[in-house]
Amino acid sequence: MTIVGGDGRTHIQSNLMRESLQDKKVLSRTDSDRDLQIFPDVSLVMIGGQSIFDRGKAAILPLVEELIEIKKDKSLKMVIGVGGGTRVRHTVSIALDLGLPVGGIAQLVGAMEELNAILLNTLLAPHGSMPMQRDHFWDLPLYFDAGITPIAISVPPYHFWEPPPEHGNLPMHGSDFGMFQLAEVLSMKQLIFVKDEAGLYDKDPKKHTDAKLFKKTTLPELMKHLPEETILDRELFHAWTTAKNLKRVQIVNGLERGQLTRALRGEDVGTVITKDAR
Amino acid sequence: MNERRTIESALSGSTLTGPDHFDYTPTAVMPDVKVVKVGGQSILDRGRAAVFPILDEIVAARKLGIQVVLLAGGGTRARHIYAIASELEVPTGVMATLGKYIPMQNARMLQMLLAKHGGIYILPDDFEKLPLYMQMNCIPVMSGMPPFGYWEKREEGSRIPPHRTDAGVFLSCEFLGSPRAIFIKDEDGLYTDDPKKHPAATHIPRITAKELIDRDLNDLVIERRVVEYLPRAKWCKQLQIVNGLKPGQVLAALKGEDVGTIISA
Repeated sequence: MTIVGGDGRTHIQSNLMRESLQDKKVLSRTDSDRDLQIFPDVSLVMIGGQSIFDRGKAAILPLVEELIEIKKDKSLKMVIGVGGGTRVRHTVSIALDLGLPVGGIAQLVGAMEELNAILLNTLLAPHGSMPMQRDHFWDLPLYFDAGITPIAISVPPYHFWEPPPEHGNLPMHGSDFGMFQLAEVLSMKQLIFVKDEAGLYDKDPKKHTDAKLFKKTTLPELMKHLPEETILDRELFHAWTTAKNLKRVQIVNGLERGQLTRALRGEDVGTVITKDAR
Repeated sequence: MNERRTIESALSGSTLTGPDHFDYTPTAVMPDVKVVKVGGQSILDRGRAAVFPILDEIVAARKLGIQVVLLAGGGTRARHIYAIASELEVPTGVMATLGKYIPMQNARMLQMLLAKHGGIYILPDDFEKLPLYMQMNCIPVMSGMPPFGYWEKREEGSRIPPHRTDAGVFLSCEFLGSPRAIFIKDEDGLYTDDPKKHPAATHIPRITAKELIDRDLNDLVIERRVVEYLPRAKWCKQLQIVNGLKPGQVLAALKGEDVGTIISA
């Protein structure tokens, strides 16, 4: 290690020494077209809050039974996350009325997701599951060796530091985005959203009977006409556009037994969105 | 029976992804707090000669009753770990996690120096205790890095995390409802190019974020993300960059004087 002085500052020799990290030319030197692949054989499953948990026992128990069946295949490596549902919406509407800053709202919402994570873990624990601490990914090989399914925190830790949104007053980085980023940074195999619809539609099928289902599409295709209201956070699609690793996002109907199992096996059920045309 | 059970609210049944149409009247959390960045490469890597006089002015401001929170930058050790990690092609989220540690060290150094004047080291989780620290006349010191870590998004054409310690300062101000974020660097503010490499570069005392973005400069004295966020901020509408190496500048900025460069929304 070489210490370099002479301009009043003390530097350590490196190819970023003395450089401005705002300089576009310097920044481009740090990049390449690939990332180190960390957990490429792991699937991430996100279970919807409004769509599954808010329906109570009738929707939750059959899905848990399916997860228990899935867990019998020890070669399958899976991390689960959960959404918060109607309690998140209630939190946000009160917080907006109070005029709380966007960072304050972002700080609040995570607690509602955590309730569903505790519920799911209570049901799955006898079959091997554990809540995973925020960023304890490095424990994942241990979890999988032991046959334990980790339940991850879905809301990203933007908290009080949530950036000002492009439009409106809601935080841009919700739990769908959080799950996406987890799958992306760990270069996971796929991200599967379990909802209460057959997949992604061009408009909300609960409000429009003529909504059209996307069966198989690519991200660039979808971005050309991104629906105004989607079943997933918009930021997920935006972030995926500049991302390098995640190849496949799938949306399946968790009210229909077997859909999640088939998706985990790589079958094209529900809506399949791929990063590029295949 | 197998129905969604929803709590009645203005957002019931919403996907939360579409446009919202609320009457939103923002409430400021702690608008009198001045969030101040102490630069890493520009100040802390210079050691005692640069740091001590700046801290004297911050202590003087605190004695005048001005509420100050210090956020530390990273500097050359951050560049060193970013350079090595880039070679290994680690994802941006891992880079952002690595980037947390050096500003933490720098914040701890500042805390040790300020301890006798009420310097107190805080973590992002302690942010809600700021009212207590302010009432006790403390000077809270923390890392400037926002807590995104592994959840930091990649930026096109770069592996370096786009939200670093400047972003942490701006976003802290925006949450607190503080109108002006202060950045202590080793230059008088903004120049037409990096003045350390191009002596012909000229100083820009006042500019708007839009004018700055339109100039499409290859280099900037402040993180691009901050300039991009500024126009959509609810509270933090100004960024002030001051030269900590010039005596009196930091105290003047803390008193609200227009020294250095001011970038406005």
